[in-house]
Amino acid sequence: MRNFTGLLINEWLKLSKKRSFFVAYAILVVVFGIMAFAFYKLSPEGVSSTVDFATGTIMLQAAGQLVPVLAVLAAAGSVTQEYRYGTIKFLLIRAQSRHKILASKYLISIVYALTLVVTTAVLAVAAGYIVYGGGAGESTWTDFLINVASLSAYSIVFVTLTFMIGILTKSNGAAIGIGIFSMMVGSLLVMLLSRYTITKYLLFANTDLSVYRSDAVPIEGMTLAFSIVVLLVYMALFLSVSFAVFKKRDIA
Amino acid sequence: MTTAKITNPSIVLQLDGLTKKIGGKAIVDGLSFDIAKGEVVGLLGPNGAGKTTTMRMIVGLIGMTEGDVRICGQSIRTSFEQAIRHVGGIIENPEFYPYMTGYDNLKQYQRMTEGVTDARIQEVTKLVGMQDALGKRVRAYSLGMRQRLGIAQALLHEPKLLILDEPTNGLDPAGIKEMREYLKQIAESEGIAILVSSHLLSEIELMCSRVIVIQEGKLVTVRSLGETEATKQKMLSISMQVGNAGQAQEVIGQTEGVTIAQTDSFTNRITIQLQHDRIPELVAKLSAEGVAIYRIEEVRATLEEEFMRLTGGNRIA
Repeated sequence: MRNFTGLLINEWLKLSKKRSFFVAYAILVVVFGIMAFAFYKLSPEGVSSTVDFATGTIMLQAAGQLVPVLAVLAAAGSVTQEYRYGTIKFLLIRAQSRHKILASKYLISIVYALTLVVTTAVLAVAAGYIVYGGGAGESTWTDFLINVASLSAYSIVFVTLTFMIGILTKSNGAAIGIGIFSMMVGSLLVMLLSRYTITKYLLFANTDLSVYRSDAVPIEGMTLAFSIVVLLVYMALFLSVSFAVFKKRDIA
Repeated sequence: MTTAKITNPSIVLQLDGLTKKIGGKAIVDGLSFDIAKGEVVGLLGPNGAGKTTTMRMIVGLIGMTEGDVRICGQSIRTSFEQAIRHVGGIIENPEFYPYMTGYDNLKQYQRMTEGVTDARIQEVTKLVGMQDALGKRVRAYSLGMRQRLGIAQALLHEPKLLILDEPTNGLDPAGIKEMREYLKQIAESEGIAILVSSHLLSEIELMCSRVIVIQEGKLVTVRSLGETEATKQKMLSISMQVGNAGQAQEVIGQTEGVTIAQTDSFTNRITIQLQHDRIPELVAKLSAEGVAIYRIEEVRATLEEEFMRLTGGNRIA
């Protein structure tokens, strides 16, 4: 177990020792700064409290979209950078199984995504408080937390997908490209295919769990429990493929 | 699959019918050899002979199709973690995380292995003379420095076997000499077995006690290098420059146990074959007969010549 902790620390350091590490957090700070300023100047209708602001901005359709994008950028590099640097050869000739090494990489990719979610949530509330100073609006803290949870789930799903693509292609660019492309095109695809009931089994029809706050489900008959099960099945599939391929692959 | 167990406890590495097939073509084909404690063994072969594939299979980077590799009796295939903990390696160029310092890089590998202390990190960096550069980012390292850090990384967990693929690649002559001395030293003092491949045949000749030549994935020959017990009995090839080749030829022709391989009356050079013990006797006889001797040299087939003979030149398979 002590060994596995060591692997987790290693993976975290590989991310955090990079000079670009703080850029992701800085981007979030800047974006929320701009949003706060815009809301202060324009005072849009329907937003009248800290919670309204925070709940609205953290949505996937707003600033929240940045979180999965930034998380995907890091997840894509987790395995592919080892190939790029050539360090994969040193990494895999230690007294550690490939499964453990990959598990540590995956877990740290998830942890990193969650730090982005938490940062975003804190920034959203802080910016909202600066502009509105509390106040009373339509949204509740429960709405806010549901949005935070949906954002986390969405990010984790795409991190898992990108992680797998990274292992399959060994290419950082391909993993980032496919990860972000599927994020953009996924919801469009669901819209186009929404008249077929089979569409509800598509990954992209289920990634945004925040739809269950209202009744605006993408396809008739979908429930929160259904979506969670579909997401879990897809993630299990992605991870099985990732681990099986990584275990068997020849490092030539 | 069960294979024969190691019987000799000093055997560190054992290859047993190691085979790798890719798309039906055998890259490495039924390779078997042993390496004992403290031995420095060279792996030679023309480009594409399967040297790197063999080395990658030994450290488990590439899966084997058939056969087995055992390190200190543990199979790399069935008990990878137990087997690999005895191995340190550099496969092709040593690569590190360029944005981290040398020290941070070594710490990465320390965390991956039980029982590597901070004192051990100090020890290995001192051993390779990197203590002053350890705080710098690897990005700023020269190839020679990365090579040294690579060795430090490989020795960190006190392995019993070192696998080095082209360890002198990119080093300058001083660096090569230093690396060679250093490898010999750790093999002798710490009893580490070393398997090393290099395309610099003269390097291998200076470094190794034994060479294994492979071609097209198959074992061609195993040969011991350096002075051995049998030297005194061995037929030596001696080239002499004399005052008069014809006269010398006559004298030598009357001497027992000496055969003339070649005579060149133009340069007055004569090449003969005889046993080590018989040389003084022959020299005395030639002098007594009044044959002037200007030079006596041993004609040694270099490893390179032998290599070319064995592999038929550098054909790419």
